[in-house]
Amino acid sequence: MSWILPEGASLGFEGLAAPLRIVRGLGGGTQGQVYEVDLEGERLALKWYLPACIARDGGLERRLVASIRATAPNEDFLWPIALLRASPASRPLIRIRDESFGYLMPLRPPAYVGACEHAAGRLAIGLRQVMRACFGLADAFHALHLAGLCYKDVSLGNLFLEPASGGILICDNDNVAVDGADHGAVLGTPGFMAPEVLLGQARPGADSDLFSLAVLLFRLLTRHDPLKGQMELAIRCLDEPARRRLCGEDPVFIFDPVDDRNRPDPIEHAAALITWPIYPRPLQALFEQTFCRGMKQPSRRALTGQWKQELARSLDRRSLCPACGQENFQASGAPALCWSCGAPLPEPITLRLPHGSVVAAPDNELHPHHFDALAGEDLRRPLARVVAHPQDPRRLGLRNLSSAAWSAETHDGRVQAVQPGESCSLAALARIQSPAGPIAVQRPIRPSPIA
Amino acid sequence: MPFPDVKLANRPLHFLYLCDCSGSMAASGKMQALNQAIRQSLPGMAAVARDNPEARVLVRAVRFADHAVWHIETPTPVDQLEWRDLQAGGITAMGEALKLVAAALQTPPMEVRALPPVLVLISDGQPTDDFAAGLEALLRVPWAQKAVRLAIALGHDADLEVLQRFIGTEPATAGRSPRRPLQASNATSLAQYIQWASTAVVGAASMPASRVSETPLEPAAGNIPLPDLPPTVLDPTDDVGPLVW
Repeated sequence: MSWILPEGASLGFEGLAAPLRIVRGLGGGTQGQVYEVDLEGERLALKWYLPACIARDGGLERRLVASIRATAPNEDFLWPIALLRASPASRPLIRIRDESFGYLMPLRPPAYVGACEHAAGRLAIGLRQVMRACFGLADAFHALHLAGLCYKDVSLGNLFLEPASGGILICDNDNVAVDGADHGAVLGTPGFMAPEVLLGQARPGADSDLFSLAVLLFRLLTRHDPLKGQMELAIRCLDEPARRRLCGEDPVFIFDPVDDRNRPDPIEHAAALITWPIYPRPLQALFEQTFCRGMKQPSRRALTGQWKQELARSLDRRSLCPACGQENFQASGAPALCWSCGAPLPEPITLRLPHGSVVAAPDNELHPHHFDALAGEDLRRPLARVVAHPQDPRRLGLRNLSSAAWSAETHDGRVQAVQPGESCSLAALARIQSPAGPIAVQRPIRPSPIA
Repeated sequence: MPFPDVKLANRPLHFLYLCDCSGSMAASGKMQALNQAIRQSLPGMAAVARDNPEARVLVRAVRFADHAVWHIETPTPVDQLEWRDLQAGGITAMGEALKLVAAALQTPPMEVRALPPVLVLISDGQPTDDFAAGLEALLRVPWAQKAVRLAIALGHDADLEVLQRFIGTEPATAGRSPRRPLQASNATSLAQYIQWASTAVVGAASMPASRVSETPLEPAAGNIPLPDLPPTVLDPTDDVGPLVW
């Protein structure tokens, strides 16, 4: 890579009191180059644009200034902090003749890796973490859309994941604009673009974001593309005109309940066939809503709030197969089989809450939205977590993650206090009174051997 | 528990170098510069291949002098590729090289389903054999018609007209000049063009990049929109100026 900004040099920028040291180049593409920089001891990232990119996108500077003023919708965005132009003294050090500019943003922590690592199957990540990442994505776009903004270029390339937690970061926020205010050049990334944008019938906005978001969620959950089935196999050379047909002119969802022209191939598209049945019916229904009726009717697509709700509920339903340990997300009530090994899943112990219920499986969490009907789904501040006994993982407990003590009542009427940070065994527990609200322990009619 | 062990469906992306190894390539270090440029481009190419899991990038190379022969015959994943140096000597059997590639792009041995192949022709002179017959044979093959064909002219003796016929003529589209052979007048620009072809173009052919409204979305002339050429990065340490071929 030929770096435009000299690595190791300290450069002055207009509006910055202290010089910025260019620590090292991180990467580059057709838009510009990204550097790790040091500003008075703080490590940040600097994206520097190529003149061709600035020339093509007349609204770029205006959008960046507006975004910097608006500040990030939530902490999952690597949001622009400041727009930078080189000071006259530093201009000769920049190895490019035409004038250019860049912007500062937070530096991505090393634990976050590109989402394409997961798409490629090279990342050790659990189903729970993938679902949490999907929730984080829906939550971030919810905040962005509620702020009246749209992203316009949702794709795998703009998302980073932390495999241990399922945390996300969204980068390349330089196309963000007020929804409907059309001063942007970007149209999106083919494969993620809504059909009406790909065909040139509409400009990207919040409605097309909803389509692209659904594609990205589908790709994270299934490692497959929602439009690549038999109709893709019929294409010999997958070039631009072919992609246009597949994703724009005649797009058919591979699991469309009515139109079966584009079903997955059992060998070529095995990933989709293996992973799709893992997900509960209400979550599948949101994909059908977006990719069937919503394919041609942008206003019918599943909204960010619907995704948040169903992804959070799916996580609440998470149980572990007693035979193979794999995670399952099926609705309780109906007899279910493990998607992985086929063993019957016992009816689990459930924690009944004022608003919803959570299956008692290790790592499942209770959140404020389980207690407060007005609180939106949020996974950042859990109030309690189901934990397995260190010696006997079949024995489950509930850890108090809140800052106030609980009062736990057993079946024989004994009451004990559970201090913050402590756990109580679920084995003999009937209910818990917590400041957030009551937690009732509901056991299956025929008790399972667990707990 | 780990996410189910399922792999993303992918398609092969065949990348072929066609390298002029005629005697004139020995002059002014051109052969060495080409070997270096390709070798240096491989890590970047491997990174692009990693970032595009929908594509399986496979590299081959043909060298042509008195005759055209495979330099790398087996389609090789880029991260397993070791570049052996090409040697210069002989005349310029470019037509024969095109015929060799034409045979390789027939199905079989080509897969039934693939991404558009990328062909990069690098030459510093004029074909000494029947170029027209070679080109005709190549363009009869559907995969060659679909291929992204690029040409790099080394120095001022390269036959630009022949290279233009190889890449085909494409009319100027809004805001973009018609495609021309890339003209490398020194080792630095050669390295930049090789890097561009093996990273930006491979990326564009394997997974589409972000589109801006200027990119024609209509079924345009090319079947893959080509990314911008690398900007000219000024090298402040280079006072003398690079050797010009």
